[in-house]
Amino acid sequence: MIRAILVWLQTELGKGSGDTAQSWSEALLGSLNFWGLVEGSHLIGLMLFAGTILVVDLRLLGVTFRRTPVSVVSDKVLPLTVFGFIFVVITGLALFYAKPLFYYHNIWFRVKMIVLAIALINILVFHSRIQKTQGSWDSDAKPPTGARTAAALSLLTWLAVITCGRFIAYDWFECGKPQPAFINWAEECKVSEKGAVTLGGQHL
Amino acid sequence: MSLNLEQFWPHARPWVESLATSFPGKIIKPQFAWWEVGHILSLITLGGTTILMNLRLLGVGLTQEPPSELYRNLRFWQNVGVIGIVVTGILIGSANAERLYDSAAFIVKMLALIAGIILTYGVSRPVARDDGAVGLAAKIWFAVGGAIFLLGLWIFATSELINPGVFHIITAAGFIVLFAVAGRGRLIYLGVLIPLIVLQYIWTHVIVKADDYAHLTPVNKTFAVIFTAWIAGTALVQLFRAGRGESGGPLTKIIGYVTILVWVMGAAAGRWIAFA
Repeated sequence: MIRAILVWLQTELGKGSGDTAQSWSEALLGSLNFWGLVEGSHLIGLMLFAGTILVVDLRLLGVTFRRTPVSVVSDKVLPLTVFGFIFVVITGLALFYAKPLFYYHNIWFRVKMIVLAIALINILVFHSRIQKTQGSWDSDAKPPTGARTAAALSLLTWLAVITCGRFIAYDWFECGKPQPAFINWAEECKVSEKGAVTLGGQHL
Repeated sequence: MSLNLEQFWPHARPWVESLATSFPGKIIKPQFAWWEVGHILSLITLGGTTILMNLRLLGVGLTQEPPSELYRNLRFWQNVGVIGIVVTGILIGSANAERLYDSAAFIVKMLALIAGIILTYGVSRPVARDDGAVGLAAKIWFAVGGAIFLLGLWIFATSELINPGVFHIITAAGFIVLFAVAGRGRLIYLGVLIPLIVLQYIWTHVIVKADDYAHLTPVNKTFAVIFTAWIAGTALVQLFRAGRGESGGPLTKIIGYVTILVWVMGAAAGRWIAFA
């Protein structure tokens, strides 16, 4: 079902008539400069998004701005982080749209999405539970264990998201190459255009 | 125009070619992707600390604290970012030296790195440490770093194939101005900027076909100039208008703008090494 939608997105949506007509997705990927601008913008957006979240998390860990209340740091820095996040999501969606099937069958992308979900759940837990008691520890140089755990988890998950994001570009586990059974299963290589090949070279 | 290092050091090619097969390039190559991740993480650390420290010089962000407090808290992590990009950059570069030798974007990146280090350590940090006061040494370093930044920007803007990357710097400048301008000024700013973006889209997709590169290039260049003029003009108004939380005069704010943009130029040029 998901794959069928992605096939339509990649090959059909926006396609005009004629032999050389391209879908919008293909046009984006084939554009001389626009795809590069989107990709570069995604990285530069990370400087704002992840760079500012790093500072907020370091404050929650009690490493920086120990004399500044947590609320001051989060109230002033998080709007920049949210702005950066929106920018990174928009450029990330555009990158995905340029080659959805490639990303769909890429294990690093799948791991990235799982870790991204964990990171977002961590934010929800922080705001719904830990932040409720913030009044009692707002000015503490070292916030309580719950806040520090959330900050450490935040740093680890965003580190993993960025690492997986970079690894997507590498073809170590590309469908169609001999792969362990787990990788072929995790990437759904069987239904991919390149198919699934076992480590013994057998096409599944 | 398209510069590369071969034009300056034509006899260095054999040595450059040997870098990938000798230490440390040879050792780095198998773990290239991991070092790339290290480079990106360092860039993010540098980016976050630089953005916050310099937005504060513009009177934006953590305005409850004086710039000196931001300097005191962020300097260690900024050092981590700078050392990280230099070390991982040298290692990645040694494993990929031939590509860099032939790249105009690499020249821009190196100029941005030199200008970035000068502007960060010689200007932005001393100014933040002194709560916005710009001393003579900072002024001299600003002239040197600013000139190198402008040289890099000029090469970026005039080099074929990589010059679309200048839009990253224009975009970043656009965002900084958006953060720095408040109230009605922000509405006026967006009220002109958004129609300009829509107009550029229509012009480059409807009036001129998206694959008609011969006609697209002058249109995009014209829009780059218009965007730059509007963003720089708005920034100029903000420079001379006193706002809340500001700790210095127009020069302090210019330092804030330029120090963020120089690192954006470095990141953008780094990305365009891979594209052209």
